[in-house]
Amino acid sequence: MTDGWNIVVCVKQVPDADDVTIDPDTGTLNRSDAPAVLNSPDRNAVESALELRAAVGGTVTAITMGPPVAKAVLQTAVGAGADGGVLLTDRAFGGSDTWPTSLALARAAAELDADVVICGEESTDSSTGQVPPGIAAHNGWSQLTYVESLEPRPDEGVLVGKRDVEGGYERVAAQLPVVVAMEFGANVPRPAGLHRKIFAETEFEPVEWTASDLGIEEQVGLANSPTKVGGMDTASPVERERVVVDSVDDLYEHIEEVV
Amino acid sequence: MSVDIEAYEDVWVFVEQHDGVVAPVSWELLAKGRELADETGDDLVALVMGDGVSALAEAAVSRGADRALLADDPVFEPYRADPYGEQFRALVEERKPSIVLIGGSHTGRDFAGRVAVPAHAGLTADCTELDVDDEGLLLASRPTFGGDAMATIKCPAHRPQMATVRPGVFDAGNPTEHVSDPAAAVEEVEVVVAEEDTLSTVIERVVGDVVDITDADVVVAGGAGCEGNFAPIEELADALGGEVAATRAAVDEGWVEPARQVGQTGKTVRPQLYVAAGISGAVQHLEGMNDSDVVVAVNTDPNAPIFENADYGIVGDLHEVLPELTALVRAKQEVTA
Repeated sequence: MTDGWNIVVCVKQVPDADDVTIDPDTGTLNRSDAPAVLNSPDRNAVESALELRAAVGGTVTAITMGPPVAKAVLQTAVGAGADGGVLLTDRAFGGSDTWPTSLALARAAAELDADVVICGEESTDSSTGQVPPGIAAHNGWSQLTYVESLEPRPDEGVLVGKRDVEGGYERVAAQLPVVVAMEFGANVPRPAGLHRKIFAETEFEPVEWTASDLGIEEQVGLANSPTKVGGMDTASPVERERVVVDSVDDLYEHIEEVV
Repeated sequence: MSVDIEAYEDVWVFVEQHDGVVAPVSWELLAKGRELADETGDDLVALVMGDGVSALAEAAVSRGADRALLADDPVFEPYRADPYGEQFRALVEERKPSIVLIGGSHTGRDFAGRVAVPAHAGLTADCTELDVDDEGLLLASRPTFGGDAMATIKCPAHRPQMATVRPGVFDAGNPTEHVSDPAAAVEEVEVVVAEEDTLSTVIERVVGDVVDITDADVVVAGGAGCEGNFAPIEELADALGGEVAATRAAVDEGWVEPARQVGQTGKTVRPQLYVAAGISGAVQHLEGMNDSDVVVAVNTDPNAPIFENADYGIVGDLHEVLPELTALVRAKQEVTA
């Protein structure tokens, strides 16, 4: 472990929730309006990866799975200070749910000989939080989720994570390799350095791997995803009075009737 | 790659416990699991893991489980993903459950994400509705991104069908029946994990009282409109003898502790009075408070969806409206006191 750790950080491109607009006539989402951005919890993952590299040495490699335009989130990670990036891109990945997605990321992390894989808490567009433990499970590695802070112990080959649990916290020592999911907001992500940002946007080219490069072309995509969207429904509205009052006194009278 | 789905039966509920205390969400899921099992004609099975927790397995039977599986060993206390996951993998392989319900706590989500992989299960996170169709297929519903609709997720060709559910979505009821010999329905299973094979060690665990807003009669909640100042929310909640709650946006900003988050990824509350201040009313939030008896909305935007989902509303700045309301409540209390 004298050469430091191979740190892999997983990032995802998502629609920008702040720019998603609702059509006032139909109440539906104008999804195409929203530009694609780096999943905001992943910024905490990138920051943790960079802090970990500063503490133990080694390299930070960003990986993402998505269409070719997802290169943009690797550029963001490299701009912040990641050493390199890998883009898992292949039509075969299309329609993957969390099972094949975590398989692809797990194979890529193993290929990169990762000691530590760091992810964000969950993605803002699907909010399952299932991918980090999924990566760990596919590779039989240890896992630390909802992590507030990390304490590396390179001499022992161990990473200690302080985990947020209901009503308090716990500190768990995990053997390497380990998959970490940082709690959203756990740290303050650094801004991109100017020179690094220019490098990321002009010179940086990610390594590209397909499903067959990872040997998993028969295990990914919609056909190999256990979950299927069975139907969409508008959320059933609850009948309410919908009375808008003009004064706080009127509002208070209604409240007084209840309590 | 599909499995012989006919070989899978029974509804399992993972009974999450820490130091012998069951997470309330587990009992909520046991009550829901009872309904689903009655519909499909399956058995309801409680899965209890821990050290010296046979009493919890018996409690699960008293609460309506047909059977309880007990994995009792020091390796299971406190919770760790790798030994729990390995034990669960072995049990699923041997027993083949059709449906597995898990609480959406940090522990439950850590566990569910790990165990769904070796089981090759379909896992749906943070469901707000669960049902079964005519063929016994689990229908797991959750709001979609952006919050304009509900998506129903199915798992047609893989088993088990797994779902996580946040606390308060379902009612635990008061189902403790008199079961003359609950221990007779508890089966202690073979422990397949040895301490030397584990990958992690809990070196410190500090847990105090867990804030519980799910039983409050009055909830005063704030959202992005609070702009970092929750004092008006706290003061009104205090005057009304209620609990403070918040939207995800307010929690993510760090204004309020996560245990007070209401919505799909937080808690579900059913108070007599729910005051929503500075909350626009995304479906993710509405899912957590729709069952409130009376909803009052305060928002500067007259077009905010919250007004469509409120009984009484006022268009105004919460930083002005709430202190006025608090003063009126206090004045009334002084008169009656």
